[in-house]
Amino acid sequence: MTLNSIRYRKIFYAISLLGVILSVSAISFWGLRLGIDFQGGTLMEIHFSKEISKEDIYNNVSSVAESVLVQPGNDNVFIVRYLAGDETINEKVREKLTEMDAENKIIRTDFFGSSVSKELTRKAIEATIVAIFLVAIFIAIAFRKVSRPLSSWQYGVGAMIALMHDIIITIGVFAILGEFYAIEVGIPFIAAILTILGYSVNDTIVVYDRIRENLLRHGMKESFENIINRSINETVARSINTSMTVLVVLFAIILLGGTSIQSFALALFIGVFAGTYSSIFVASALLVTSYHFQKKYTK
Amino acid sequence: MRYGRKIRFQVAGIVLLALISGVISYPKIVVFIDPVYQKVNQLKVSLGLDLQGGVHLEYVADVNSVPEDQREDAINSAQAVIERRVNAFGVGEPLIQTSRSGEERRIIVELPGVKDIEDAKKLIKETPTLEFREERADDDPDLVQTLTMVNGMSLENAKKGLERALAGEDFAQLASELSQDPGSKEDGGNLDFQKKGAFVPEFDIILFDENNPVGIVHPNIVESSFGYHIIKIEERRGEGEEREVRSRHILFAKMQKNMVPELQYKETGLTGRYLESASIDFGNQYAMGDPRIVLHFDEEGSKLFKEITERNLGKTLAIFIDKEKVTAPTVQSIIPDGVAEITGQYTLEEAQSLKSRLNEGALPVPLQLVGQQSIEASLGQEDLNKSLKAGFFGVLAVIIYMVVYYRFFGVIAGVALIMYTTMLIAIFKLSSFPGWDWPITLTLSGIAGFILSIGMAVDANVLIFERIKEELRNGKYIESAIREGFRRAWPSIRDGNLSTLLTCVILIWMGTGFVQGFALILFLGVSFSMFTAIGIVQTMVKALPMQFLDRHLWLIARIKRSKNKK
Repeated sequence: MTLNSIRYRKIFYAISLLGVILSVSAISFWGLRLGIDFQGGTLMEIHFSKEISKEDIYNNVSSVAESVLVQPGNDNVFIVRYLAGDETINEKVREKLTEMDAENKIIRTDFFGSSVSKELTRKAIEATIVAIFLVAIFIAIAFRKVSRPLSSWQYGVGAMIALMHDIIITIGVFAILGEFYAIEVGIPFIAAILTILGYSVNDTIVVYDRIRENLLRHGMKESFENIINRSINETVARSINTSMTVLVVLFAIILLGGTSIQSFALALFIGVFAGTYSSIFVASALLVTSYHFQKKYTK
Repeated sequence: MRYGRKIRFQVAGIVLLALISGVISYPKIVVFIDPVYQKVNQLKVSLGLDLQGGVHLEYVADVNSVPEDQREDAINSAQAVIERRVNAFGVGEPLIQTSRSGEERRIIVELPGVKDIEDAKKLIKETPTLEFREERADDDPDLVQTLTMVNGMSLENAKKGLERALAGEDFAQLASELSQDPGSKEDGGNLDFQKKGAFVPEFDIILFDENNPVGIVHPNIVESSFGYHIIKIEERRGEGEEREVRSRHILFAKMQKNMVPELQYKETGLTGRYLESASIDFGNQYAMGDPRIVLHFDEEGSKLFKEITERNLGKTLAIFIDKEKVTAPTVQSIIPDGVAEITGQYTLEEAQSLKSRLNEGALPVPLQLVGQQSIEASLGQEDLNKSLKAGFFGVLAVIIYMVVYYRFFGVIAGVALIMYTTMLIAIFKLSSFPGWDWPITLTLSGIAGFILSIGMAVDANVLIFERIKEELRNGKYIESAIREGFRRAWPSIRDGNLSTLLTCVILIWMGTGFVQGFALILFLGVSFSMFTAIGIVQTMVKALPMQFLDRHLWLIARIKRSKNKK
């Protein structure tokens, strides 16, 4: 079985483009649902000793805090979320809750003051930028020996485009999940994005590595397109097998893992899936497109 | 051709490694070698706060009022104060760290196992207390109210006790149960033979009134300065001057002002907040005296101190540290310059520790809570169990997948994967080895990184096996196919994993808590997986019976060999 992904590359481009366009529109239309770690806020899990209505809690907490969300659980347990920049708001909320039921028990409070969340956001953005930058340098160095017919920076750009494709799609899916399933994006999401970054590059590098090898071996005898197609076919089993094992473990976490890492694993799942697709159908095809482009406009 | 002795040594090395890491990660397999089991079983994976439950608090220390060059000291002392308070609270293995982000100084407090967040917060925030207290007047309304209330309760109890005694309950037993007189309580309230004048007058009158019968409980409660007594006369003997009475009593003690420092002294408003520094001096400059602690107050404190000394001339002024009375010297003169001395029979060491406590306690770094997370222990345990289960099934699924797809090589990959897992667990456990203290703490995100690294650990194997299959398809014999496969797979493994390691380094370097935990474990995982793939899998594959496999290629893959063998 041979796959001719190069010949039909326009179809695969179209699929990717559609995914990216949908993601970008979802992101710009709905945006991401930011967790308290990025917004500065509090999440309180409270157990009341008696029956209390969701509306009651909402009205009471709203009188002292902004953007209040109340989520009922089992056995008079509620999760209350609100914006909070400092501890004084938390104290007011606790007073309100005690007014409602003096015997309430606060099971959990997660509080990120505005200075902490600002710092987390800043660090997350910085880390992402630094990571992308260093990975680009890394690829350029790793492929420095390849110079014919494409120069090594073109491999770098190809890997970067594939990488951005994977990340945009992951963020897009979470924008949709945030809108329809109230799934939030917090610090773990950043870790997931950065891991996808590492994984996606890893995946693309393996294919490129094979292209590099085949170019040295068959570069004289075969057309560039054929070499790329041959390289993809020679690595496709590995790509799928590796992705499958990663997806299998991620699936195990999504199914069985604790709630706090489920959405993290979900983000990785989407990213790895997109990464596998892009390394097979996009990253290498981009080299061919780039090659044609170069042939047309140079000389 | 065989690889010979070298490979045998390598195989032996791997078996040894497998044994060691196996024993460390799962000590029960050597339970029959008791001393080894005992030692190894002490190694524990140190769990993060999110897995064992507890409280994470993050404070910003306001150092604006502290001169630039003293900020470091101020923060360190604040950390020391919190440590002391937390230790007093009895938290196992608290973690108190300071960090700096830009101009902001932070103090992070992690209290494993603590349930009551509000209590913990109060404890930490509580400004360290050094207090000067003055004597409370006898007619102080707070004092009177407290005494009336406490002593009223005591009288009520006495009345109940008397009812029981009169109803015929055994007096000695009742005394052991109820009496608050430590001298006689154990002995059933027995006071032995005493002559007249041995007791307080109120008590004496009852005992030496010959009209009061022997062997019967006195029908009234007798009040003395000690409290409320229930009395029973047991025996009389002797005459005149030698008249003696043996009796029993049950005491319900009265509280008195001078019994409780908190009652005796009241707050003056002069606290550690106004303290500038504390130092030690030895009094007389010509002769070494007992060490004294000299306190210097700031302007406002000096004013307060002057007023207090004026008000209390000739009376005692008590110094309370952390709500405990340390000493109560008498005010000899009005002190206008804000310099106070604490004298007492201190050894130099005691004085020094007191001094540093005061200096620490007086530190003017207000803390503001900027972040808090609490995880219930049961929740953490639940998450841990779930994640371990996920990890177990993840590994199992990967092994099955590998065996189905790569057959014999899949079995090897499976063995390598199990070894990889035990080795990582062994590293986690070894990090708690006494004296090593590697900063590897397993958090929930760490488990995620661990599970993810399982998938990635297989990647190197997949790359290698695919290459070997390819070489076989090209007609190579198995031995050279394996050699060639490893050689050709190596650049991909290297470049691919390096990119992941690179992102891990960035995450560890720039990330925060959750992200760092994840990245550290993923980093360890990826590095180890390169070792298992190249070191362990290669050795195991090379040790295979090559000729046998050449004849039964189906064990590896369905391969049609091309005719012209290379």
